[in-house]
Amino acid sequence: MLFEKDIASARERAKQVRLFAHDIHGVLTTNNLFCDVEGNKRYGFWHMDGFGDLSLTANDIKIAYLDTTSIDGEGLFRAKELKLDKYYYSIADKAAKLQELMGEMGIDYGAVGYLGCELSDIAPMKKVGFGVATADAIDEVKAVAHYVTNCAGGKGAMREICEFILSAMGKWDGWVEKVTKMGYK
Amino acid sequence: MTREGAVEKAKKVRFVILDIHGVLTDNTLYYTQEGIKSEAFSLHDRLGVTALVEAGIGVSFLTSKISRADQQMGKIYGIPPEKLWGSSAKIGRLDEFEKESGFTDEEICYVGDEMIDLGIMGRAGFSVAPADGSAEARAKADHVTAAGGGRGVVRELAQFILEAQGRWEGFVAQFK
Repeated sequence: MLFEKDIASARERAKQVRLFAHDIHGVLTTNNLFCDVEGNKRYGFWHMDGFGDLSLTANDIKIAYLDTTSIDGEGLFRAKELKLDKYYYSIADKAAKLQELMGEMGIDYGAVGYLGCELSDIAPMKKVGFGVATADAIDEVKAVAHYVTNCAGGKGAMREICEFILSAMGKWDGWVEKVTKMGYK
Repeated sequence: MTREGAVEKAKKVRFVILDIHGVLTDNTLYYTQEGIKSEAFSLHDRLGVTALVEAGIGVSFLTSKISRADQQMGKIYGIPPEKLWGSSAKIGRLDEFEKESGFTDEEICYVGDEMIDLGIMGRAGFSVAPADGSAEARAKADHVTAAGGGRGVVRELAQFILEAQGRWEGFVAQFK
């Protein structure tokens, strides 16, 4: 099913975001789990998504890794690698966690963005100001989303939405310029 | 940039600097259940590095930190340990290299895929991005490969550079 979203309205919503939460499996990973014959597991994370996360935090948008389905702590491995483990939450009730973070920050749902792909993402997505579905999210999630990324989960969806948000805020070009100048010391 | 323009720039290349993540790898970090990170490289790129080195064009890795995986791949590709550069100050590292080697910006080819590479891509005489690099890197690059990261970018680039320099046939001849 094709879900047409109003881009102009999505941009307006993205402008308000001060807290951006995302799921792990199916969002930062392709939802594949590689398991060898000895039973050893591997989880693949899209490396540029890390740059997306860091772009948001560098521009004063707080992020939250909301993980309901951790098997070996793989989402935490990734968050630690990016030094973002203080934003990692392994919880069953995503909506409740969001509410708690909003309370700490003193913001309402209008200032919350969310990227998801599965059934467990529907409840938080219905509440937040800017709900985003990955290109390969299930239809129920796409239906409630304000925007659907062009990239699939585990293939750059997070990197793409970070650029969308910062562009909507008019911060992207300045950020590109800043990053371009990095690397002299 | 037109293909002709890229060919002109490729003619001057005497040293190739490669970013690793998203160029030599497929953009994915695989974590084991113990939290050990691993990455997928392409063996096509081994031939690419061999072709460049045999033609007298040096090759180095440049990434923020050299991991043991990068060291292992350096060994497999035939890149000596002193050419595995770990530095997040990529432009500073380029300056240092130019000072010690005598190479100038226009003799350097740099391959990168992300915004962090834009500064050094602006310096290098011939800048290249993989097919699936970020939009910013592709826009900045003099040339975009048909191959995506971890799918033979260096193999393709080596042929592009050596063809531009009229030396590809010589490399291929040894296999015939």
